[in-house]
Amino acid sequence: MPGAPVEALRRVPLFADLSESELQQIALLFKERHFAPGETVVKEGADGAAFFLVDSGQATVSVGGVQRTSLRAGDHFGEIALIDEGARSATITATSEMVCYGLTFWEFRPLVVENGEIGWKLLQSLTKKLRSAELG
Amino acid sequence: MSDVVSLEEVSETSVFGSKAVGLGRAVRDGLPVPPGIALSGPVVEDVATGHENAIEQVVAAARPLGGPLAVRSSAVDEDGADASFAGQHLTLLNVPSADDLSSALREIWWSANSDSAITYRKRVGLFNRPSVAVVVQVLLDPDVAGVMFTRNPITGADERMIEASWGLGEAVVAGLVIPDSYRVDTEGRVIERRPGLKRIAIRADATGGTREEDVAPHLAECLCLDDPQLAELNGLAERCEQVYGPARDIEWAIADDKLYLLQCRAVTRAGP
Repeated sequence: MPGAPVEALRRVPLFADLSESELQQIALLFKERHFAPGETVVKEGADGAAFFLVDSGQATVSVGGVQRTSLRAGDHFGEIALIDEGARSATITATSEMVCYGLTFWEFRPLVVENGEIGWKLLQSLTKKLRSAELG
Repeated sequence: MSDVVSLEEVSETSVFGSKAVGLGRAVRDGLPVPPGIALSGPVVEDVATGHENAIEQVVAAARPLGGPLAVRSSAVDEDGADASFAGQHLTLLNVPSADDLSSALREIWWSANSDSAITYRKRVGLFNRPSVAVVVQVLLDPDVAGVMFTRNPITGADERMIEASWGLGEAVVAGLVIPDSYRVDTEGRVIERRPGLKRIAIRADATGGTREEDVAPHLAECLCLDDPQLAELNGLAERCEQVYGPARDIEWAIADDKLYLLQCRAVTRAGP
């Protein structure tokens, strides 16, 4: 099957309220990407090219060299740099074999612009991150 | 036009990138290029997405090449020109067979869509969606390989400047060795030869990919090209200049006593 498995998308809160056919459409836009243990997935300060869903494996999230959190199956990352077209806000490093499904900027933006539900979920996810950052 | 063609049939830079088109022209002009096929940007994207039809088409076209394979990106920008993406887009050497192409193409597609590639594209003023075409060729197992300028890029003198080392040319291109260096006049006479220090050679690994192999101490400082080989390289330089025009930057390899052209592009560093 091309793209990401629909089941992988269904596990992601961002896409939780979408219908089966919407999920199938969106799944076709994703491409699988593999990362080796220790590989830098995204680097703080670099321009962002893609948004990723974690299908399997784990990674750490660091800001300024300090580990903030970790990622596992069902998590997503990379949306901030795609939204503001700025630099990556954190470094993500795979700590095991990691399989992600990625969506590049060129597919991500129309997806969010055309789908209010995804846009709203994305806002909620970003707000959560903002609150967590404010709380330090 | 088909999305998957033999190198001999490649002509559209906007579809296959200038690396593929350059090699296609070389094949048509009788230059010694390893057999291969070219894949368009859209078919590479379809394979990376996992479309079965595209995967089957590519695997069927590559199967007659056997293996192992060298899979190189041939980037296309919006004008159809090949901007210099050196170091940005991946080359995968020693992909075991056609059946392994799907994951190799996915990796190459992501290399053109990685954060570092996008950062680089923005820096050179490219804000469009990247398209990466690919060349798939039989991987040589060279005894010696390297690079050659068909004229001196520093002084502008009409002489060949050759750098050579043992094994795959990646050792020279990536600066992993101090290669032998040679200056040869346009009649094929050697003007200067200087042995380098070639402690390692890059070789295809039995499990796929490449590995660094220690070079026997007596070979590390020993010249790896003889006069007949240098004369043959001069002949290749002459043919490349006839086909592509003056001042070329060539990647070459010698495998089983046969000289091959791997890449030929215009020299980007101008002489005085």
